[in-house]
Amino acid sequence: MTDQADQSRRNFLYVAAGGMGAVAAGAAVVPFLGSMLPAADTLAASKTEFEVSTVEAGQLVVIQWQGKPVFVVNRTQEYLAQVDGHDDMLKDANSEAIEAVSAAWMDTPEKRKYRSIKPEYLIVVASCTHLGCIPLFKPTKGRKDWGDSVPENWPGGWHCPCHGSLYDISARVINGSPAPHNLHLMPYKYLSDTKVLIG
Amino acid sequence: MLDKMMKSKLFGWIDERTGAEAIIKSQLTEYEVPKNLNYMWNFGSLALLVLVLQIVTGIFLAMYYKPSAALTYGGYTIAFDSVERIMRDVNFGWLLRYMHAVGASAFFVVVYMHIGRGLYYGSFKGPRELLWIIGVVILLIMQGAAFFGYLLPWGQMSFWGATVITNLFGALPVIGEFIQQLLMGGFAVGDPTLNRFFSLHYLFPLLLAAIVGGHVHALHVVHSNNPTGLDVHEGKSTIPFHPYYTVKDAFGVGVFLTIYTYIVFFNPQMGGYFIEVDNYVPANNLQTPAHIAPVWYLTPWYTILRSFESKLLGVLMMGASLAILFVLPFLDRSKVRSARYRPVYKQMVFLFFITVVVLGYCGHSAPTPTLKLIGQLATTYYFAFFLLLPLVNKFEKTKPLPEEI
Repeated sequence: MTDQADQSRRNFLYVAAGGMGAVAAGAAVVPFLGSMLPAADTLAASKTEFEVSTVEAGQLVVIQWQGKPVFVVNRTQEYLAQVDGHDDMLKDANSEAIEAVSAAWMDTPEKRKYRSIKPEYLIVVASCTHLGCIPLFKPTKGRKDWGDSVPENWPGGWHCPCHGSLYDISARVINGSPAPHNLHLMPYKYLSDTKVLIG
Repeated sequence: MLDKMMKSKLFGWIDERTGAEAIIKSQLTEYEVPKNLNYMWNFGSLALLVLVLQIVTGIFLAMYYKPSAALTYGGYTIAFDSVERIMRDVNFGWLLRYMHAVGASAFFVVVYMHIGRGLYYGSFKGPRELLWIIGVVILLIMQGAAFFGYLLPWGQMSFWGATVITNLFGALPVIGEFIQQLLMGGFAVGDPTLNRFFSLHYLFPLLLAAIVGGHVHALHVVHSNNPTGLDVHEGKSTIPFHPYYTVKDAFGVGVFLTIYTYIVFFNPQMGGYFIEVDNYVPANNLQTPAHIAPVWYLTPWYTILRSFESKLLGVLMMGASLAILFVLPFLDRSKVRSARYRPVYKQMVFLFFITVVVLGYCGHSAPTPTLKLIGQLATTYYFAFFLLLPLVNKFEKTKPLPEEI
């Protein structure tokens, strides 16, 4: 019986039937993998409002956006002055390396330097770009307050406790850190003078 | 196709290290199966398919389901809300849940057909006694898994169904209260019950998978029965499993999936038979629904329970109605297997199928005196069927058997 069969036709049927089965199985994977993506209510929680006037001068507040920590710093004039004068220590002084460290409103050198819409309020994702730890806030200059956990010419900023990455007061990464990039920015805008919509 | 693949270098490499060729030959390409199997023999492979579907959908549902009876701000419970979240917010969550809920019913449809086929064609008789007994164990674990799973949505039917069943165990003398508290983890169905039922609902399918392996192994030792019930002689009246029955099983899978997906997409609640309407009301431990009944696949045994005035007797008889399946191979002494050649047994087994359907109907309906009487009659025949078997072959004149299939 099998000897008389036209093998090429039979093989065509095998491949056609098997192919259809594979397509069906592939289609069935869509809902299963799809179900593992963020659910509708998780996506709905992807915007956060925050009143920046609640942050005192010189204070750092950590808030949550999409379950991720976010730094909101109220930078005093003193802190803002610490942004200048160490561009040679920075990996990416102008925040141009990747999209996540840049933003559409960074249209002037000033804004590239301060990395915020309003210079005093810096809002950045609080995850070290190395492996995701939350860096410690060490805003004052030099080693006076921080001992030898920071370099001698410390401009003030953040120090990551996990693997020693350093960022300046505009959250720009300092040379020699294991972290590849400046702390990421997230989309945000001012709804009023002091109310920010993050996300 | 398969033989071409088995000649490849890669396959040779694997074969040297696993003995894959010998396994494929002994289990597929040279595994001899009677050539006359009808479509009733498709339900075994379908049951395996549904088991896989249930495990896969269950694993994905467990990524979102939360077994907690703690109250939420909405006034419901975390478990109930998590199921509703699966239905509304999780991508394709509705599909996964309906596949799982319809799959539970489909599982029992397929398995009951499989069992019915075994009864009709005498597949439980020697040398397949142990194969049948392993199958009964699978049935009991399935019923357990279904019962545990039904509590998880934490609706009214979940709650009161679990209350009724755990109270059944309380009827047993001496150890009853102990078992009841062991199941509930407290003095009433509550948060601890929900947690352990979730754990057991995850455990039982793993047991099933293992025991199904044993069932298939036992089958491949004694080989398939066939519609004539005759012993077959290899080569003359058999064909290899692959490609003949792989193709036939694949066709059965196509038919099954057509019906299954139709129900999943267009009628997942099946008029309250697959998902009971009352179960969309959150569990309330202070109010029992007006009418509570188990899901359809457990209602025959529920009727047996209700048919006895004494609580203890009802529980024992319900247990006996399942336990008697274990001894079926030893009750039936007839040398002839298939009901085709057993005129008396044929009528008995058909009446038995009708009886189980009647028991199911009675268990699903609200109790009335008439239905109670019908249920009692059906219960009587349920047991009579088994107990008459040793007597039947004393007077039954079997039809002449053919020489060869």
